[in-house]
Amino acid sequence: MNILVLLRMVPDVVEELEIAPGGKALDADLLRMMLSESDGHALEEALLLKERYGGVVTVLALDAPEVDDALFTALAKGADRAVKISDAGENPTTLEAAYTFAGWIAGQPDLAYADVILTGVQAIDDLDGLLAPLVAHQMRLPYLGIVTRLAVDVPGRVATAIKEYPGGVRGEFDVDLPAVFGIQAAEKPPRYVPVAKVRAAMKSRQIESVPAPTLAEAGPSLVNVVAMEKPQPAEWAAMLEGSPEQVSGKVCEILAGTGLL
Amino acid sequence: MPDPAASVYLGVLGYAWLWAMAMVSFYLFGTRVWRYAGVLRGARPEKRWDRLPERFRRFAAQVLGQQRLREEPLIGLAHLVIFWAFVVYAAGFFWNLVRGLLPFLPVPYADDVRWMALALAGAGFIGLAALAVAAVRRYAFPPPRLEQSPDAAVILALIGIVLVSWLTGWFARPRLPALAIAMWWLHMATVLGFLAYLPYSKHLHLLASPFGVFFSALQPGGMPAPSEGASRRQEFTWRQLFSGLACAECGRCDRACPAFQSGASLSPKMLMHQVKELVRAPSDGAFQPEGIWACTTCYACMSRCPVFNEHLPLVIELRRRLVSQGEIDARLQEALTNLGRYGNSFGQSPRNRAKWTQGLDFHIKDARKEPVEFLWFVGDYASYDPRLADATRAAARVFQAAGLDFGILYDGEQNAGNDVRRAGEEGLFEVLAEKNRKTLAKAKFSAIVTTDPHSYHVLKHEYPAVNGGFRVWHAAELLDTLLRDGKLSLQQTPPGTATYHDPCYLGRYNGVYAQPRRILGELGVGFQEMPRNREHAWCCGAGGGKIWMEDLPPASGPRERPAESRLREAASLAGVDTLVVACPKDLVMFQDAAKTTGLADRIAVKDLMEVTEQAIAPAREKTHA
Repeated sequence: MNILVLLRMVPDVVEELEIAPGGKALDADLLRMMLSESDGHALEEALLLKERYGGVVTVLALDAPEVDDALFTALAKGADRAVKISDAGENPTTLEAAYTFAGWIAGQPDLAYADVILTGVQAIDDLDGLLAPLVAHQMRLPYLGIVTRLAVDVPGRVATAIKEYPGGVRGEFDVDLPAVFGIQAAEKPPRYVPVAKVRAAMKSRQIESVPAPTLAEAGPSLVNVVAMEKPQPAEWAAMLEGSPEQVSGKVCEILAGTGLL
Repeated sequence: MPDPAASVYLGVLGYAWLWAMAMVSFYLFGTRVWRYAGVLRGARPEKRWDRLPERFRRFAAQVLGQQRLREEPLIGLAHLVIFWAFVVYAAGFFWNLVRGLLPFLPVPYADDVRWMALALAGAGFIGLAALAVAAVRRYAFPPPRLEQSPDAAVILALIGIVLVSWLTGWFARPRLPALAIAMWWLHMATVLGFLAYLPYSKHLHLLASPFGVFFSALQPGGMPAPSEGASRRQEFTWRQLFSGLACAECGRCDRACPAFQSGASLSPKMLMHQVKELVRAPSDGAFQPEGIWACTTCYACMSRCPVFNEHLPLVIELRRRLVSQGEIDARLQEALTNLGRYGNSFGQSPRNRAKWTQGLDFHIKDARKEPVEFLWFVGDYASYDPRLADATRAAARVFQAAGLDFGILYDGEQNAGNDVRRAGEEGLFEVLAEKNRKTLAKAKFSAIVTTDPHSYHVLKHEYPAVNGGFRVWHAAELLDTLLRDGKLSLQQTPPGTATYHDPCYLGRYNGVYAQPRRILGELGVGFQEMPRNREHAWCCGAGGGKIWMEDLPPASGPRERPAESRLREAASLAGVDTLVVACPKDLVMFQDAAKTTGLADRIAVKDLMEVTEQAIAPAREKTHA
């Protein structure tokens, strides 16, 4: 079984985010990038599938700062192949990323029939969860999102996926393979890989760096960023100053004033 | 008495009997010992031939003098007597054996030499008395965790027979030569039997422990060399396996172990036992992960073990293996991931590392940008934990008031890696150490100071490339010097009466006991010692990465956590209202324990630096502490 995992690097929100001059994007110079959390779950699910059914796990990512660390970590965890698309442009939109991923996969004879394509159902810069459905649409493959468990009938080329619904309801789906899945959470929390193994992978393994596929000329973008800004303290927000004791005193006064206390 | 070896028994000469018995005994002894030696030869190598004078000194004090055994005075003395009686009897036995096996030797039997016979008689009598003490203690007043094996009874009986048979023979000589002859043979047969039985019993410690002491770890902390960890026999070093052979199952480690005593599923004694089983037969899965993760690396077991067994290296090797297999607690995984990415376990931005300085009315130098005399390595907890900001600022104010030329590394500092290493993540430790080394190499300073005993220990002993040229001070050592040099002017005596908790990594690991007490004395603080102090201090339970792990309910019984036990100990002292600590982790652990035990009103937990700050504050001003 061929398992392909799409990995995305997203801004690390532990570090403070700053808006770039121009006010339309984050300041890339101050950003630290990290692997999207749900992509880490997609990788874990892929590794679990490999352990259960055998097969080859390929991780695919667009070039970005610190992406090599993420790819070597994936290799150290048990991925068989790591591929980095090198010139996909800086800060591609989800649409561009999806087209680049899909275009590259379609051009690979050995991956064209990737049985299972997994990625995180969301990323902090793709809260709409569009990447996976866009890739699926582009490749004319079925898509299922918010998946928390996968079982595969390898010879029958059918996957059984569990999808979560609100209210604790779960749905079970049969999906013909190949298919794209948006992983909400792996069956188990992503595994820990010791630093020594990551370092060993850096020495002994290779990341295949490949050029981006040539894509059909996209028309003019129909959605444009006007401005990006951090929330400003609005007038109705009062900042309470002072020591913790003074602040808590003021909080009590305000609550008493509104009749809540 | 006729020559027993020259007499004839059942038509066979005594010599022949003796040869036959000796050959059977030595064969059984030799094959077993040879097998153990083979196992040790197949283990990973470990260099223990260095610093020979120190090794001989330790051998003299701990084998010949049995210093640690005498920490429990009564049984320690009894053991010392039995040991020396045994030495005398072993000498007499081998003398007689050689004389008996080789009758042409022109020497008399040991028993026929007056001074030797007197030595044997003297050793026999006081040996029997000591044996009685040992037996009464074992069966009438056994300490907890003493292994009550049938083996122990066999050994006591065998030693008893050895001594009594010789003494009886000695008395019978003049009047009852036949009895004397019988006793001579009983004595020889018992010792030969003992020899054959020895390597199959816990009394192997008699043979193994002198070597164990001689080849014991000399560097503080006993950190094993970098490895990929171990769980199978050939993956351990020979010295690690050797611990299993030297264990006498006395249970001192269990009595000293805060994890065991708080009901966790770790018994250092059982760990030794499992290692012994591993040496006897290769097996897998003898070690329970819950137990391995329960260790706080407090060093109490190792500092108490009379045969210098090395529990901690074993725990660390086993942890390394679990880490390499990814079998770790979810919270520990989160902490290690954070440490790898941000250099701190809190998962905070490195840019926030020096945020605590914001409450100071002076600027702390950036040691990366300007030369300083003391580079203050602040450490993770003191930097990031909001509960510790006051104590960290107190240290800064004390340093400032003493006119110290000091600076910090700001966002350049990373966790020093002490507990990362002891949690078994050797690779991550190397990464952190490498980053710190690079940062330190760029800074200009002449010494390092830290309030954190964990950073102190690892910087002092496990950063060899950095620690070539300068001293690492714990803040307590530095403060002690500053006070003695009159660099701080004391304005008032802090109120109340204090007791002091020795942090594991300052005390047991590095022997810094006097300075903190001297400081409290200088400050004029009323002081009372806790019953468990210095080497016997009770760990707070945070070390070795435990502070990052899930706090599991005890495996057996509703026993209290180490920090709670320790806080109750402090609070039980009449008049004591302050528990003074010298470790950031202690401060959070004990403040937490004060809340969970409901003793927060009874006793306050303060850092040594906070108490000092109180003492140097102008008397009229009300201090915040």
